Amino acid sequence: MTTAFPYVRYACPCTETAAPPLLGKRSSQDVETEQDEGLTFNPHDQRANFSLYPLDQLLFCDECNHTRCPKCWTDEMIYWYCPHCQFDVPSSSVKSDGNSRPSSSSTHLRPDGGSSSNDSYILHCQYCDWSTLEIDVKFSKPSRITEQLQKAWKARYGAKEEKDEEDRKQHESPGTQHDATFANLQRFYKDQLSESGDQPNMYSNSPYSSPANLARIMNLYGGLSYNALKKTREKPQPMREAGGLPEGLVTYTEDGIPGEEEMIEKIKTLGLEGTASEEQRLTTPQNYDTRFQDELWPIATPLRVRRGKRCRTCRQFLARPEHKVGSMRYKIRLLALNYVQRLSISPLQPTAPRQNPSFQLRPETLPEVKVHPHQTQQYILTVRNPIFETVKVTLATPATTPGKVASKVTILCPSFTVGPAGDMWDEALSASTTSDGSRRAAMASLTGSSADGDRQPEAGKVWERSRNTTSVILEVVPGAVKSPPKIVPDDKQEEELTEDDDILEIPIYVRAEWEAVPHDAAGHADHKGERESREFAYWCVLGVARITQT
Amino acid sequence: MSSRPTAPNRRSTKNEYIETDTGNKISRRAHIEGKQNIMLGGKSVLMAGVTLRGDLHRLQEQSEGDERSKGPVTAINIGRACIISTNCTLRPPMRIHHGTMTFYPMRMGDNIFIGHSTHVSSIHIASHVHIGANCVLGPFSVIKDNCKVLPNTVVPPHMIVPAGSVVGGRPARILGEVGDGWGQGQTGGGEEEWVEGGDLRGVVRSIKG
Ligand SMILES: [Zn+2]
Ligand SMILES: [Zn+2]
Ligand SMILES: [Zn+2]
Repeated sequence: MTTAFPYVRYACPCTETAAPPLLGKRSSQDVETEQDEGLTFNPHDQRANFSLYPLDQLLFCDECNHTRCPKCWTDEMIYWYCPHCQFDVPSSSVKSDGNSRPSSSSTHLRPDGGSSSNDSYILHCQYCDWSTLEIDVKFSKPSRITEQLQKAWKARYGAKEEKDEEDRKQHESPGTQHDATFANLQRFYKDQLSESGDQPNMYSNSPYSSPANLARIMNLYGGLSYNALKKTREKPQPMREAGGLPEGLVTYTEDGIPGEEEMIEKIKTLGLEGTASEEQRLTTPQNYDTRFQDELWPIATPLRVRRGKRCRTCRQFLARPEHKVGSMRYKIRLLALNYVQRLSISPLQPTAPRQNPSFQLRPETLPEVKVHPHQTQQYILTVRNPIFETVKVTLATPATTPGKVASKVTILCPSFTVGPAGDMWDEALSASTTSDGSRRAAMASLTGSSADGDRQPEAGKVWERSRNTTSVILEVVPGAVKSPPKIVPDDKQEEELTEDDDILEIPIYVRAEWEAVPHDAAGHADHKGERESREFAYWCVLGVARITQT
Repeated sequence: MSSRPTAPNRRSTKNEYIETDTGNKISRRAHIEGKQNIMLGGKSVLMAGVTLRGDLHRLQEQSEGDERSKGPVTAINIGRACIISTNCTLRPPMRIHHGTMTFYPMRMGDNIFIGHSTHVSSIHIASHVHIGANCVLGPFSVIKDNCKVLPNTVVPPHMIVPAGSVVGGRPARILGEVGDGWGQGQTGGGEEEWVEGGDLRGVVRSIKG
C-alpha cells in the first residue's frame, strides 16, 4: 500500500471492546492509569483496519456525544437516480423494473447514429471501440435502449431455448419427458423379464429361484441335462439391456451437450484471452453462462442512490442530503470534523520542504518518508479545536508502540488547553497570513537555521499556540525492524514481519474536556450562567513514516 | 559561489507568474492560445507547461450581423480558485456536425484541482472536484460536483460522473462515494488543512514565484 505520510486516522469508539468510551464523570487524572482501562489500541492489529477512518468520513451524534462510523450508523435511501441522465427514479419503479434505468445506455456505451444504414443504431464504446455490431445487435431508435436490448436478447436466446425444447419434443418424443422415459424403461424391462423368463419358467414355482441353482439341482437329480437346459435357453432372446429411446434409454453423447466441440475449437483459435473473465461474466445474469468475450452482452447503467445516515442508537439523522439529484447540499450534516479535536503531525526539523501529497503540483516524485531505527526524531504534534469553547486536552500514548516493531514514544507536554474556534473562515485566513508559522518555516528553509533554531523543546512546555491550535513536541525513537543477529539462532522467537509492520504508527488516546451551555438550557435566559462539563475521548493513530531496514 | 547561489534563481522564480487584477496567476511558461476566448474567474492558477486551447472555439455565424460578433466567443471558462498543475492540457471537445468540425465550450466551476500532466477535454467540470495526476478526461465527459478522480484514470468520452463519486481505472468506473465531510473542515488556510475538494484559496496563495 502506498500511503502518503504523515496521516492521522481516528478510531470510532464503537469498536472498542476492551476500553469502553469514557463518557461523563471520569476525572482526567487517571490517564496515567490508562492501562487499567484495557489494552492500548494496536494499529497493526488486523481488526484495526476496520475501525480507523479519516476524520472527514466520520459523523458525530450530538445526542449521544459519540462519533458515528459506517458500523454505528444506518443508511437510509433518500432517492434513486440515473447517473447518466440525472433523473430521479421513483422507488416504485426501481422495485418493479429492477436496479437499472430502462431508457439509458451503459456507462460508456452510447447510441451511435453514424452507422451507414438508415434508421439503424448501434451502441458504441468510444474507449475500446467495441460496438453492438460485434454481437450483431442493432437498434431501431436511439431511445429505450435497455428495452430493445432485452428484446434482442429474448429473440436470440429465449426463443432458441424454447425452439430447442419443441424440436426435441417433436423428433425425439417422448425422450425429453422423464416420466415417459421412465415408463418406457419400466415397460421394456418388464417385457424382457417375461420374455427371457418364459422358458425356464417350467420350474418357476419351485423354491429354488435362481435358474443356475435350479439347473444344477436338476442336473444332480437327473432331470433335463444342464446342456439341454442351456439349449432351451438359447432359443428365446436372452435378457438384454435397454438399447434406445423407445426402450427408455437416453444416452448423452458428445453431441449431447450442444456446441461443446465448437467451444473447444473456439478456445483453440481464440486462446485464453478470448474467454470472458469472471468479472465480466458476473456483471449481469445474462452473462453468467457466457464463455467468450465476443458473446458478452452489454448491461444498462446501474442506478445510483443517495443515502442519508441515522444514528444507530438514537435514530436521529446525522446526515440528510437534500432531495434533489446532483445537489450535494445537506439538510442535516453532523460532521465529526466539527466536534472532534483534530491532530496533525510534522517533523520539527524538516529535511525537505513540506509538500501536501494531495496537491502535488509538479511531476517530480516525492521523497519517501523514512526514519532510521534508534535515531531520535522530534515531531510537532498539533491539536486543532473545532468547537467554540476552550478545551482541555490530555494525550496519552503507550511508552512503546504496539506491534512487532517497538518504537519509544514520548509526548513532552501531554496536558494543555486549546483555544476556541472562531466562526469566520476568512478571519482565520487573514490570521494565518500574519501568523508566523509559515514564514518561520520559509525562513528556516532559506537560511538553514533561524533565530528559532536555538529553541529547544522542553518537557512540560507547549511548543506553539495559536487561537484554536496548540502544538507540543513528540519524541520518537524508532525500533529496529529486524532484531540484531543472535549468536545462537533461535527460530522460535523470531517473528515473521508482514507487510506494513515497518510503518511507524503511534496510537494516541485523546481526551477533551470542556464546559458548555447545557442542551436544554440553550434558549432560556434564566439558565444562561449554567454550564455543564462535557468530555469526549477517543483513540487515534498517527502514521509517521516507514522505518528503514538498516 | 556558494555564498549567493539563490540570487539569480530568486529573480527568475519571482517572474514565474503574471498576476491579473482578479488574482489569477498565470505562469510565463504556460502555452495559451486564443487568450480572448478564455475566461478565468479569479484566484486561479495556470502553472508552467499548461496548454490552453482557447483557439478551438465554435465559429461565429457570419450571417447573424454585427451584434452577435461583438464579444469574443468563450472556448474555456474556468471558475474561481482553480489550480491547473504543471503540464496539463485543456482542449475544448469537438464533434463533426453536418460535416464541419464544431468545438464546444468547456465550462469549469470553482475550487477545482487538476493534477499534473492531465489531459482535459470535458464539456463540464462542476465545483469542488479533485482530479489526480496523469488522467485523461475524454471529450464531452462531465464531472459533477464533489468528485474525486484518482490519478492515472481514463474517463471515456461522454461519461457522466455523478456528484460525490470517486472514480478510477481505465476506463473509469465509479468506485465509491466521497465522505459526507468532503472538502469540509477548514478553519484556516494552513497547509496542513488543505483538503481535497475544499476551498483552494490557501493552496493558490502558496503558489508563488
Ligand atoms: Zn462507530
Ligand atoms: Zn469499451
Ligand atoms: Zn445518537
